[in-house]
Amino acid sequence: MTEFGLRLAISLTQIAAVMGIVVITVLILTLAERKVLGWMQDRMGPMEVGPYGILQPVADAIKLFFKEDIIPAGANKFLFTTAPILCLIPSFIGFAVIPWGPNQTFEVGGITVRPFVISDINIGILYILAFASLGAYGIILGGWSSNSKYSLLGGLRSAAQIISYELNVGLSIVGVLILGGSLSLVTITDAQAGGFWHWYLFALPAPQIFAFVIYVISAVAETNRVPFDLPEAESELVAGFFTEYSGLRFAFFFLAEYANMVLVSCVAAALFLGGWNAPYPGTIMAFIGAPSLAWIENTMWFAVKTYSLLFLFFWLRATLPRLRYDQLMRFGWKVLLPIALGNIVVTAIAVFIYQQMK
Amino acid sequence: MVSTTSTKRLSLSAWLKTITFYEILVGMKATLSHLLNYRPVTLQYPHEKRTLPDNYRGMLALLRYDDGTEKCVGCDLCEAACPSRVIRVVSAEVPGEPTKRYSKEYYMDMTRCLFCGMCVDACPVDALGMTREFEWAVYDKRQLHLNKQQLLAIGDRSFPVQEKRLELQHPNVAFFNVAFKHVPPKPD
Repeated sequence: MTEFGLRLAISLTQIAAVMGIVVITVLILTLAERKVLGWMQDRMGPMEVGPYGILQPVADAIKLFFKEDIIPAGANKFLFTTAPILCLIPSFIGFAVIPWGPNQTFEVGGITVRPFVISDINIGILYILAFASLGAYGIILGGWSSNSKYSLLGGLRSAAQIISYELNVGLSIVGVLILGGSLSLVTITDAQAGGFWHWYLFALPAPQIFAFVIYVISAVAETNRVPFDLPEAESELVAGFFTEYSGLRFAFFFLAEYANMVLVSCVAAALFLGGWNAPYPGTIMAFIGAPSLAWIENTMWFAVKTYSLLFLFFWLRATLPRLRYDQLMRFGWKVLLPIALGNIVVTAIAVFIYQQMK
Repeated sequence: MVSTTSTKRLSLSAWLKTITFYEILVGMKATLSHLLNYRPVTLQYPHEKRTLPDNYRGMLALLRYDDGTEKCVGCDLCEAACPSRVIRVVSAEVPGEPTKRYSKEYYMDMTRCLFCGMCVDACPVDALGMTREFEWAVYDKRQLHLNKQQLLAIGDRSFPVQEKRLELQHPNVAFFNVAFKHVPPKPD
């Protein structure tokens, strides 16, 4: 009983820490996005709340908390209430299998604790993909239950878009899975240790550059970000699937979108960019004789990679206009899908030949 | 990305540009160069204000002579000149002086004013002036319906240098009562 209690306490601590980090990251992102967009457009971004506007996320959060919660007339109340939760949970639950730091363990009261991953399940990436697809239900149901044509159109667009681009995400990852020989993110990240030439983006025998590009494009589409933000195209659909949402429910959708961005960036960092591995062999901390502090360096590298990808999201948003709907579908099915399939074939052949030669 | 009419064959360079996202990268370079050479055009308005041009046409005001008497002679020419029908003048004789008139009531509905300055041009005695005030946002638009006392108060606070009152003030010898620095001071 005490052992179970200890395990529960450790797991809950880890979950709370990860949730806290993700929520803080989302708060930072909301400010960072507005700031980066502003700087790229020769504006200043938010400047009023706090010095240089750094307290703007707090002000936004307080505002959303105290706003009136409106349920439109004719809305399906149960689904209208459930949809934001359905959207939020899948985007947070994926973080359970992300390895934040080195694969090391320590003992607490006879229990082995892995501090940098909540749960290393052997189908980690499949689990993330499955839950990411479930998030589409929240969007579709939110759009349908609002009893508004804009919401419904946004939800339908989102359904088609997420199904199309989920496929490309899944197929672009297959190359990495062939190279790594595992579905566990911890195993895949461990296999990329020892310098950036071992990252699956560049690794022999089959560099996954095309797969990485497809993954990034599809991830942008899957998280409904510009230039693939058709479900919430404000110039056509007011705000898309969350047109009728206000207050805390809107905040849930907002949080889910940003948490999804963080999640896909983490997955891209772990699969293609070596996760927490530094771009040089080993760590500086181990080199200068403090190997017990190497985890700081490694987690920092993971953060750098994730934040670079998040910056790419903002950068694309500042640069590109929105695609037309038929362009989006054609690009997904006629361009990305064949390239992803070709990448699987080439990777499989290359890995087979590589193993025969050894 | 993909041309909708597939009849045209892509040249090799165009094909290379397509698969390397060349055009997108050019656009991203442009946005990044703006981020790196960060020179915002924003003016943080309530904290810093733009310097107004010398001929700025701001809030209208009624002026006084240096002895405190109102300049306005109640001739209604401003009312006639106004294209937006902002001004309403009620003219009357000065009590006890049948040759002199003044404006008994003077109203301006500033919600309609378009700050063209025609009333100021029309005034024969330079009783109207345009100040450099522009922060006149109010919560109740009835507060923008100004009466004579309010207009005189605006003039008093905006034009501290007042024109000297002459014994015989003929419209044609009226000097412009302007507080601008580049205009030489009026001879006494």
